[in-house]
Amino acid sequence: MEVLSPYKEATDVILEAGGEPLKLCYQCGLCTGICPWNLVRSFVVRRIMHEAQLGATDFGSEDVWTCVTCRACVQRCPRGVEIIDVMRAMRRAVASLGIGVVPDALRISAKNIAGVGNPLGEAPEKRDDWAKELKVKSFSSGTEILYFPCCIPSYDPDVKTVARSTATIFNKLGINYGLIGTEAKCCGEAIRKAGYEDTFQSLAQNNINLFTSNGVKTVVVSSPHCYHTFKNEYPELGGKFEVIHITQYLASLIEQGKLKLSKKINKKVIYSDPCYLGRHNEVYDEPRRVLQSIPGLELIEFPDAREDALCCGGGGGRIWMDTPKGERFSDIRVEQAVERGADIIALACPYCFLNYRDSVLSMGKAETMQVKDIAELVAEAM
Amino acid sequence: MADVKIGVYICHCGLNIAGVVNVEEVARYAGTLPNVVVSRDYRYMCSDPGQDLIKKDIKELGLNRVVVASCSPRMHEPTFRKACQDAGLNPYLYEHANIREHCSWPHATEKKRATEKAKDLVRAAVRRVYWHEALEVKEVPVNPNVLVVGGGIAGIQAALDIADGGKKVYMVERDPSIGGHMIQLDRTFPTLDCSECILTPKMTDVGHHPNIELMTSSEVEEVSGYIGNFKVKVRKKPRYVDLDKCNSCGDCAKACPVEVPDEFEMNLHMRKAAYLPLPQAVPAAFAIDKRGISSCRIACPAGVNAHGYVALISQGKFKEALELVRRTMPFAGVLGRVCTHPCELDCERGKLDESISIRALKRFVADYELRVGREKATPIERTKEDKVAVIGSGPAGLACAYDLIREGYAITVFEALPQAGGLLSYGIPDYRLPKEVVDNDISYIQELGVEIKTKTPVKNLTEIFNQGYKAIFLGTGAGVSQKMGIPGEETKGVIHSLDFLRMVNSGVEMKLGSRVAVIGGGNAAIDAARAALRLGAKEVAIVYRRSQVEMPAIRTEIEEAEREGIKFHSLAAPAKILSKDGQLSAVECIRMELGEPDASGRRRPVPIKGSEFTMNVDNCVIAIGQAVDKTMLPKELDYTGWGTLEVDPVTLQTNIDSVFAGGDLVSGPADVVAAVAAGKEAAISIDRYLRGISLTEERQITPKKVEKVSTEGVKPKARAAMPLLQISERKGSFAEVEQGFDEKTAIEEAKRCLNCGVCSECFECVKVCEQEAINHEMKEETVEIEVGSAILATGYDQFDPSVITHYGYKKYDNVLTGLEFERITCAGGPTQGQIQLKDGREPESVAIVHCVGSRDKNYHEYCSRVCCMYGLKYAELIKEFTKAEVYEFYIDMRCFGEAYEEFYQHVSEMGVNFIRGKVAKITDQAITEEEKGKLVAVAEDTLLGKIVRVPVDMVILCAALQARSDASEVASRFTIGQRGDKFFLETHPKLAPVNTATDGVFIAGCCEAPRDIPDTVAQASAAASKALSLISKGKVTTEAAVSHVDETICHGCGRCEEICTFHAPTIISKNGGVVSSINEALCKGCGACAVVCPTGAISIRHFNMQEIESLVDGLLEVYHG
Repeated sequence: MEVLSPYKEATDVILEAGGEPLKLCYQCGLCTGICPWNLVRSFVVRRIMHEAQLGATDFGSEDVWTCVTCRACVQRCPRGVEIIDVMRAMRRAVASLGIGVVPDALRISAKNIAGVGNPLGEAPEKRDDWAKELKVKSFSSGTEILYFPCCIPSYDPDVKTVARSTATIFNKLGINYGLIGTEAKCCGEAIRKAGYEDTFQSLAQNNINLFTSNGVKTVVVSSPHCYHTFKNEYPELGGKFEVIHITQYLASLIEQGKLKLSKKINKKVIYSDPCYLGRHNEVYDEPRRVLQSIPGLELIEFPDAREDALCCGGGGGRIWMDTPKGERFSDIRVEQAVERGADIIALACPYCFLNYRDSVLSMGKAETMQVKDIAELVAEAM
Repeated sequence: MADVKIGVYICHCGLNIAGVVNVEEVARYAGTLPNVVVSRDYRYMCSDPGQDLIKKDIKELGLNRVVVASCSPRMHEPTFRKACQDAGLNPYLYEHANIREHCSWPHATEKKRATEKAKDLVRAAVRRVYWHEALEVKEVPVNPNVLVVGGGIAGIQAALDIADGGKKVYMVERDPSIGGHMIQLDRTFPTLDCSECILTPKMTDVGHHPNIELMTSSEVEEVSGYIGNFKVKVRKKPRYVDLDKCNSCGDCAKACPVEVPDEFEMNLHMRKAAYLPLPQAVPAAFAIDKRGISSCRIACPAGVNAHGYVALISQGKFKEALELVRRTMPFAGVLGRVCTHPCELDCERGKLDESISIRALKRFVADYELRVGREKATPIERTKEDKVAVIGSGPAGLACAYDLIREGYAITVFEALPQAGGLLSYGIPDYRLPKEVVDNDISYIQELGVEIKTKTPVKNLTEIFNQGYKAIFLGTGAGVSQKMGIPGEETKGVIHSLDFLRMVNSGVEMKLGSRVAVIGGGNAAIDAARAALRLGAKEVAIVYRRSQVEMPAIRTEIEEAEREGIKFHSLAAPAKILSKDGQLSAVECIRMELGEPDASGRRRPVPIKGSEFTMNVDNCVIAIGQAVDKTMLPKELDYTGWGTLEVDPVTLQTNIDSVFAGGDLVSGPADVVAAVAAGKEAAISIDRYLRGISLTEERQITPKKVEKVSTEGVKPKARAAMPLLQISERKGSFAEVEQGFDEKTAIEEAKRCLNCGVCSECFECVKVCEQEAINHEMKEETVEIEVGSAILATGYDQFDPSVITHYGYKKYDNVLTGLEFERITCAGGPTQGQIQLKDGREPESVAIVHCVGSRDKNYHEYCSRVCCMYGLKYAELIKEFTKAEVYEFYIDMRCFGEAYEEFYQHVSEMGVNFIRGKVAKITDQAITEEEKGKLVAVAEDTLLGKIVRVPVDMVILCAALQARSDASEVASRFTIGQRGDKFFLETHPKLAPVNTATDGVFIAGCCEAPRDIPDTVAQASAAASKALSLISKGKVTTEAAVSHVDETICHGCGRCEEICTFHAPTIISKNGGVVSSINEALCKGCGACAVVCPTGAISIRHFNMQEIESLVDGLLEVYHG
């Protein structure tokens, strides 16, 4: 007879992470049925939960690394099982206890983050280079708002436009904001979900100390991942700031009449809800309100939108892992956008940006379909 | 109290206590305590020999206090109190210490500490019992009547059990028939016997039982009193059908024009407003569903029953519709064309898509009469002596005459002009209101007996009174055009609108130039402009000083004028009329801008300096307003500053008691329907005046508006467009522009009506009911009944699965709930029992989804208990009656009852597919050829560990049973508890399953928790036996340990009254002051009042300060060492 688990320590970590709700799982399989992976390949979430309940997790399986933490299953689980926490604990067991193999691509990103504070392995001192020509101030004692663009818009040549558009909007409106400087590091949200708890703790501590010592009260972020961890995970570690996603901020500026959009964008725009803005934090209306304020713009919806939105595939550290063609969620989304007659896919997350950009290019749709962050569209419409 | 003698008894409870606590040591210790004369330990104190020990000691040792240390007082305090009583000791001189739940069980591993704690508890009990006083238990008689709330299977069973036992039952049911959810079911599992067949005999029994008083359409409003003596207020809603007279012939429903979704058929079918609630209804009588007065009716100034005639038109009852209009006023043809239709503005359908074209529908029935011809109206018999004179034959005068003649008065209308009708005949051109339409409406009035004297100007009122008229209505209108007061206004070629329209309407030949300007923005201006165009003018322009949106004219008229080519110069006003050779040549205008708002709330136009411009015209019609011509009226009447007649705003009485007035004469220029309304109002006053009763009393009744308009199943549909005369055919012709609806359009348009108020009060039912059973005047009443106990059997609501958006309920036609499917399989249901899809096809495959809203943290965590079984029942029926494949998507099968597992086996044998997995979603997005046109159920088959996509035609959602939406209100009315899921809380789930927190109030069936029919019936009988047992006992003892007021300290502040959930304290006047008085029968002795009492006046007997303090002292002594 097979011994259920030789890794008692590891299974204990998982049981602890799953807590009481994991014990309540009654194996109905709703999680599997709702999981987006099953649109492209088999991923039996329910079985992973059952293995976790019994302490029979297969740490060598690639299933350990599959979950994109999109929260579709958690949102509807009839027993309230925090499935993402269980997935994270499995990864943690592998990454920290060394009882399985971490995928190469993830290992490199993790090393970069731990080493230079960003997943791209870029030099920390270049973090604010995107802002060079834009006359953005450094955060100092009188500054009201810290703008934290996320590593991807800070370094990725294609995505820098997100940070630049945001700064342009702020400059035009005369907003009292600043950047925190090159000591800032990756927020750590995704690497934590990928199982690197220690790395997360050190990143978080670095950022919390940096923000606190500079007297930061309000942070505006471009990434829903930064938003999520700053808002929901940093407070437990002592970092308490008001966190606002850029779409929320823009929506409030529009509402107060401070931001007026006058230039027409006569396009059909389809908005893709980021998992970490939507399901994780229930922000659905503000991005849509911002888009609807742009004159001429026709906002259309994906067949599955808001609570049911399909993930781009980039959450839970998957952004750093390879997903073979045919299994990319963003490919499905681009196809749906084409079917609905959209000209532009509007985004509010840098990970979505990377995935959609790659899908549009690899599918040969770059001529007809644009991928744009909401901040870019707003900057254009001002 | 030197003579206190306490006996202490320590129970072993077998080894339950003695296995841990050293009972001998505790007994020895107890013997050392003050006043203790004997202390013993024994194996089972609750046994007879144990109790005998106590009794013997009381008798032999003269004990006058007893303490037993054993298990929980909930178990055996009553046992030992009884033992004391048997031995002649007052039971309140007993004290209980719990050394099992508090010592041996929680401290099983620490024997020494458990023993020490037992000593502490015994010591505390001994200290307390010292202060106990003998208390007397009181008895009150039990009223033998029982209230049963809810007429479903639980209520029916309980009521019959009690009634068969010879006791009186009041059954209160909210719906017009009893039967509950069970009568909606087709067959019942696992035996598949027909629900109707087994329930209807019981329903009939309830209906006919001499001991059951059935109160349907009724709700309990208020409950007061206590066990044995409750007073209950029941609100009985009117049924509008006399139960004794109705023979269920159904003629009323056939005649009723209003169709609404049938709740009994889960809205899969329509029913009438006059309806039999269900085929086997008990009481077997029809009911009329009234939800208030529809908005259209409330909006109409003349009070015309728009809802009623629209409903009648929808059924093709055009003649009846016209009759209904004429029940209120005579101008169907006129107002069907020129009314400003406030009804359409308020129409509820307008909130959904577009309002009903109500005015055009009224016109349709009037046209229908003109087309098919009408029989001469029967003259009204004169029943009253008095004669009334109406001066002026416009809409106000004629409306007044119409109402008064129908009251039996003799009426004469005096008209100065050759034609009757006032502005209807002389003001509104034919293309909008043809003469034959006006004539038809007026001749109808004449046929009823109203005498109209044309060409008869009235010089003074005395002359009229001298002719024997007892009252006069003045409705002479506002017949002179207002002047602008600008230079050149008297130039030849300038005409004032009323003169112009009078000539047009009288057929006077007029020569107009080719260019005509019309000044003004009201209906008269538009009428003049459009008439000018028809008379041959080439260019017609309207000059209006405000902006075009502010024009008071009817919007569609302005639009048509524009389409006919009339130019609009808005924000412009004439400054000067220019002439050439004494003939008008041009109008000089000045542009305006809008300034500050004026008295009317509209922004006042202000001239822009230097913006003058000139329009070359041949004629100019001035239509800026009309005024009352005082020269024609008697001097003795009072006038307002505006030049209109002064009247009482409610009664329309002038300063001369017998003279009333209304219409434009009073209001200034207004619309036709306002004039009709005024005429009608004056008619009421004149009738009251002549009968010598108060003009004002009960005059203004606020109609009950519909609170919630049901839009269930309403699909968007545009309003029918009015066919119009081609523009090219309008020039040079006064042919009517609006062509009216044809029959088909009228019926279709009328069918769009939402029937907000449900019953439209058209009274067609009254006409056909041979039994004269219908009475629309029935009023709601509240009755008070007295009962000794109450059984709540209020049932459940079905969970609404539309909140689980992934299941597509209400989005996809063929996704049904369980109760909907019950109606579909029922032979008496909307499909006569044919299992079919919305399009009538038989399904080829069906998915049955279990646990929809049950066992789900996001909705209800509990299991609804019946879904597995009814899901199996559906599978059985589908297999039996169709060729469809059936897929049961389940999580766990729960088939626990008698023959349930066998039924599961039977269904399995039939070849039903069981898929273990919760359905993730139902979608119509096909990804394979096979899925096209189907609904796809997506789930993981958890036994295979694979995703399955099952294409089906029909999905049945086994929706959860949930507490009634108003369960909390009912619970608070009866002062009973609820669980977190809102179901009613029983006193003990095993030992007192039908009792509640209020003694004498019992619960049965699904109001307590979801359950199947067998369990419900058993529970109902249990509740009935509880009620009967209470009656049989005949009296109830009241708790003696209740609160007590020291009236010398009490200030009567009322805090006790506020805090008490059981309504025991009331503040009463006594000896010149106020004090709290406790109803001991209601008091539970909870002590809440004593806690809030600021003066300490309230104490609880058996729990007074001394008793509590000595108990606490006893416990704390251990810390003192």
